Amino acid sequence: MNRSLAAPHQRNWDLRAAGNFVFGGTGAGLIVTAALAAAAAAAPFRLPLAIGLFSVMIGLSLVWLEIGKPWRALNVFFHPHTSWMTRESIVAGALIPIGLIAVVLASATAALAAAALACGFLFCQAHILRAARGIPAWRQKEIVPFILATGLAEGSGLYLLAGAQTLPWLALALFAGLLREGAWLAYRAGLARTPGSARSLGIFDTQAGRLARGAQLVALVSIAMTPLLAGFPGIALLLACTGGALAALAGWGLKALLITRAAFTRPVAVPVIPVRGSGGGPLPR
Amino acid sequence: MTAADTATVKEVPSFCYNCVAGPDLMTVRVENGVATRIDPCHAAETIHPGLGRVCVKAFGLVQKTYNPHRVLTPMKRTNPRKGRGEDPGFVPISWDEALDTIAARLNDIRARGLLDEAGLPRVAATFGHGGTPQSYMGSFPAFLFAWGAVDYSFGSGQGVKCTHSEHLYGEFWHRGFTVCADTVHTRYIISCGFNAEVSGGVCAVRRHADARIRGVKRVQVEPHLSATGACSAEWVPIRPKTDPAFLLSLVHTILFEHERTVLDLPFLRDRTASPYLVGPDGYYLRDPDSGRPLVWDEATGAPVPFDTDGVRPILEGRAIVAEAVTRGPDEEHRPYHNVEARTAFTAMADSVSGYTADWAAKVCDIPAETIRRIAREYLDSACVGETIEIEGETLPFRPVAVTLGKTVNNGWGAYECCWARTMLATLVGALEVPGGTLGTTVRINRPHENRLMSVKPGEDGFMNANFNPTGRNSWLSKPGGRNAHRSLVPIVGNGPWAQALGPTHLAWMFAKDAPKEWPQPPLPEIWFAFRTNPAISFWNTAELSNAMARMPFIVAFAYTYDETNHMADILLPDATDLESTQLIRIGGTKFVEQHWAHSGVALRAPAIPPRGEARDFTWISTELARRAGLLERYNAALNKGAAGAPLKGEGYDFSLSTGEVHDVDTIWNAVCKAATAELSGGAEVRDLDWFKQHGHYVVPFKREDWYLYPTMVRLGLRFELPYQERLLRTGEELGRRLHEHDIHWWDSQLDEYVAIPQWHDVPERWAQSVRDQGGDPDDYPLWGITTKSMQYTTGNNAGIPLMNEVAGNMRGHGAVILNATTAARLGIKAGDRVEVRSPVSVTTGRAEPVQGCRPDTVVLPGQWDHWKTPYAKDLAFPSLNTVIPMSLALTDATGSGSDVVRVSVRKVGAA
Amino acid sequence: MTRYVMIADLRRCVGCQTCTAACKEGNGTPPGVQWRRVLDLEAGTYPNVNRVFVPVGCQHCAHPPCLEVCPSTATRQRPDGIVTVDYTLCIGCSYCIMACPYDARSLVGSEAGFAFGEQPTEAEAARAEGKSIGVATKCTFCAGRIDAGTARGLVPGQDPEATPLCVNNCISGALSFGDIDDAFGPVASLLAENKSFRMHESEGTEPGFYYIWDKGML
Repeated sequence: MNRSLAAPHQRNWDLRAAGNFVFGGTGAGLIVTAALAAAAAAAPFRLPLAIGLFSVMIGLSLVWLEIGKPWRALNVFFHPHTSWMTRESIVAGALIPIGLIAVVLASATAALAAAALACGFLFCQAHILRAARGIPAWRQKEIVPFILATGLAEGSGLYLLAGAQTLPWLALALFAGLLREGAWLAYRAGLARTPGSARSLGIFDTQAGRLARGAQLVALVSIAMTPLLAGFPGIALLLACTGGALAALAGWGLKALLITRAAFTRPVAVPVIPVRGSGGGPLPR
Repeated sequence: MTAADTATVKEVPSFCYNCVAGPDLMTVRVENGVATRIDPCHAAETIHPGLGRVCVKAFGLVQKTYNPHRVLTPMKRTNPRKGRGEDPGFVPISWDEALDTIAARLNDIRARGLLDEAGLPRVAATFGHGGTPQSYMGSFPAFLFAWGAVDYSFGSGQGVKCTHSEHLYGEFWHRGFTVCADTVHTRYIISCGFNAEVSGGVCAVRRHADARIRGVKRVQVEPHLSATGACSAEWVPIRPKTDPAFLLSLVHTILFEHERTVLDLPFLRDRTASPYLVGPDGYYLRDPDSGRPLVWDEATGAPVPFDTDGVRPILEGRAIVAEAVTRGPDEEHRPYHNVEARTAFTAMADSVSGYTADWAAKVCDIPAETIRRIAREYLDSACVGETIEIEGETLPFRPVAVTLGKTVNNGWGAYECCWARTMLATLVGALEVPGGTLGTTVRINRPHENRLMSVKPGEDGFMNANFNPTGRNSWLSKPGGRNAHRSLVPIVGNGPWAQALGPTHLAWMFAKDAPKEWPQPPLPEIWFAFRTNPAISFWNTAELSNAMARMPFIVAFAYTYDETNHMADILLPDATDLESTQLIRIGGTKFVEQHWAHSGVALRAPAIPPRGEARDFTWISTELARRAGLLERYNAALNKGAAGAPLKGEGYDFSLSTGEVHDVDTIWNAVCKAATAELSGGAEVRDLDWFKQHGHYVVPFKREDWYLYPTMVRLGLRFELPYQERLLRTGEELGRRLHEHDIHWWDSQLDEYVAIPQWHDVPERWAQSVRDQGGDPDDYPLWGITTKSMQYTTGNNAGIPLMNEVAGNMRGHGAVILNATTAARLGIKAGDRVEVRSPVSVTTGRAEPVQGCRPDTVVLPGQWDHWKTPYAKDLAFPSLNTVIPMSLALTDATGSGSDVVRVSVRKVGAA
Repeated sequence: MTRYVMIADLRRCVGCQTCTAACKEGNGTPPGVQWRRVLDLEAGTYPNVNRVFVPVGCQHCAHPPCLEVCPSTATRQRPDGIVTVDYTLCIGCSYCIMACPYDARSLVGSEAGFAFGEQPTEAEAARAEGKSIGVATKCTFCAGRIDAGTARGLVPGQDPEATPLCVNNCISGALSFGDIDDAFGPVASLLAENKSFRMHESEGTEPGFYYIWDKGML
């Protein structure tokens, strides 16, 4: 079907919805990184954890601004049996207070609990997309590792800006970045194998898509180079911060594209051409 | 409990007759006094071929009713200057002022005489598509009848937007003003562009769908894959305007590549003119004594008059006839001795001998093998020799048909197509028999209600024909109407519909520049316009609007402002579809595929009161009649049947007193009672209240009466095919008359009067038209054509948002459809803004590249020249009407033209 | 058990959009919202081209992805298979729209407007109750008609008053409706006698919407 290729773009989730995945993902990643720092007691964690929580809340607030009946928002909790959106909300409902406890009490235990919830939150977000069977670009199974990896890459990247440019955190950011890179390549490869995904792939090849990808690669190089330039603290700091920021920006860009522009609806599939008259039918007697 | 649950709901019977493919029955749902939706008429499921359903257009009627752009009070123009750029300055006035203003003009005219100094009616009227406005204008026909002479020649597309040649030739040959397949029975349909699935109405859509399930094979031959092409078994993309070559080659293939046994030889021998002997001058050889055409009797081996008892005519061959006479033009009788004659059948075979499939393949861009296969399949499906029982009557069964669409059967080449189509049916005896090619209604002959009864024995064993005279003393040398139909188009006759079927664009053209041989016709002093918008629905619309602006006094029955009533002096808001009362005839055999097994009448009851100051058309008509001093004649016209049924008949009399004013319900109550009395033979009388409850009343209609063949047999008549002696003679006479008056601008049209149609380079006429406009055909390499969409065709609903929304689901709506490869070659992508240019003008629209379109063709659906109609004017859709010249050179002998133009296409903006 | 399904016979459908218009008018959906519509698809390359008209809308799946993702439980499934939306529960998150493989759901806010602009016509005002603004909406198989009809002993798909409006108004006879669990009913017979498919069957949704494309058993 020639025209089925022109399946429409989803019309309901705009940048506000994308914002949930951007801020929620980054926040969760930052919470996880901060919790690791708390556990290692090697680096500051309260401020990054607070920022992470704030980020998650901003993401959820953006969703609240998007929904049609915001004053009924609490109905979101009604369907934990199968809805990843309900589960995300429930996890967020636990994450926020426990995270706040960790921040206020400077509790590493609470921070680790928050991190576990943040991982769950990310997991829910990934599956929100994965369960969207109307959008082939989200339905792709490789979306789950990508959303998880990019959240971690964004959070660990941003953590570098919190003054933690030491080797373990650089290594974590690099590891997360590489993980994301792998997940992204796997996602793209999976998408390429899915019939009718050319237009979605095309979106990632637009200038905006290439910019996001470029930022990701520059981030990796920057982070990897930072330890090598330890002798030049100024440059190393600049490199680490640039790399961390770009790691976050790259994820934000890719997710914004994924949610808003690459989300074409599933094309109609008519596997056969209907037989419209044949000339061979029974005589009309 | 919702508001809907507590609503007071009533269901009001009504009908939809927006297009000629109706009427169809429906129900209007009214909640708390507000019309909210259209429902089927489920009560009609067993009598209506479309199961009591209406098509998508009817669903626009709710929005139409509540359209905030409606004109809801009478208005008068305050700016005496008229033109597109002039603000009419309409101001509301009272009904009294509006009607008195019109009546004063009418009375003034009546005092001076109904005809002007040129002998033309001072009052003109134009109504929209196919006469369907009659079903909404209440008793206005009675007013027009009471008035007297009215000029109907200012067309709103007739001749170019209808299947014009089919109307004229179809009715001439087999009382088929509209022609269709007997879809209920047929097995094989060759459809040259007939868009049944779009413009065939619910009856055709349902029947064709049923036929598809049954296994019918329909081959759709058209340049662009229409919805009908989509629903066909096969699409054959043909080069525009080469259909005559395709159809002639099918005739050739059947005659020259198959045994004669595939033909229905008894039908050809007994029911057609095939055995008539043709003399060397092209006219029938006639018995010198009786003047009757001769046939060669197989038994006696001699020529005898065709109607000799016991004659067994030979179908084909040549012979020497000892004594005969021919009847040429102007009753010139030419004697012949020992002259070689050939049968009409042989003349036909000789005539088509060159039209091989290989020849047509080059002309039409269709593989020769496809043409041969289609001919073979047609013959294989024809069931020659078989019979079928219809309601106890045994009739021939020939389940093959050929149908023609708009643009194929109007304008140049259409005569050839109509002839070849009818001959294809005739060759296998599939004309007017079950399964074959049928006519469904008459308009040139009467009675309109029953086409079978319009058949009377005429000359030479054929049915009667009502041509306009072309004799030396009888030809109308000075046109009696502004389009000169009686002087130029003999075949259209002079019945009530003839003028509107004549070359209606000539009225507009002559309004600007009349031929020098004829006086410039004065414009009508009053022009009534209802449900018509020629300013967008004709060609070269800008020029046409200029002519309209010169009309001195226009009365427009106005729904909203539009491009035509922009020039009006008085606007009268009539109650629209859901607000007014009227009883119309349903069933029997009507236009397109409206042949039912019942006939009767249906009421359109007002679902809601008229909005604003809108008034029922019957009230308006009565008031006009009263104020114009025509009340007695008006009431008398109603009594005679001007509202659809004579009020007095055998065994009943519901006549209205002629001296008084009757209100709307009184008039329609009488019509309801009279119509039911007439239908039931006086046994049943149903009044208006009964109809408001039940909606419709029907009696059985014999299915045998779908077919003309039994009538022909009963009357011993022959179809006037294949040879067109009458047309040949008529053309020669017409040519003489015109030349006697030094008129030569109709000469190329005279070429069409031939006994057997021949191919001429039809597409070249459009190339020449480009040259005539000062252009180079190479600069306009594409064919611009149009197509209809069910959502809009003749629906008067361009200003209805719901129609635009749902039509948007169909490809090409409001766009320029073109072949994807062509688009790529021109650097055009989907959604790009493109301009379509002809030598006369340019139109722009969104490009929609598709595969289902010939690479040399672009398609602009619908008619979208609106610049005034609210909502429609803001859609910025392209319109082919803008770019087609209104041209005498592109007018055929019937006064018809085709919606075709040579164009160029280029991108003017990105998507 | 009862399982209501719809059948679209693609051999019959002509793309006229009568069902679309009837649905819009009958259900009072705002401009741009079409619970039922007919797609106009093209396959092949010139000159071997086919156009197919495909009625689409909610498929009333046996395993509806929309129901699975709905966080508010507004989307539910009735025992007769009809998937519904409770407008009083729906939060308008649009997640169901993303989850529907059939692009069958719509959500419009107050920007939806009316046919002729910002003001409703009387007919629109008579219908618009505001409940369907800001929430997900979709074809209900005219559940209200079915319920009212069956309460009166009428049979959906056979008695017009108990049958979805699109089916009642389909002029080509393409649309049919009924209880597929009625083994000898017209719907089951139609499917038994013809070849049909369901859209995106690989998704495991088991739609209650069948497309007939040829005669004979598949």
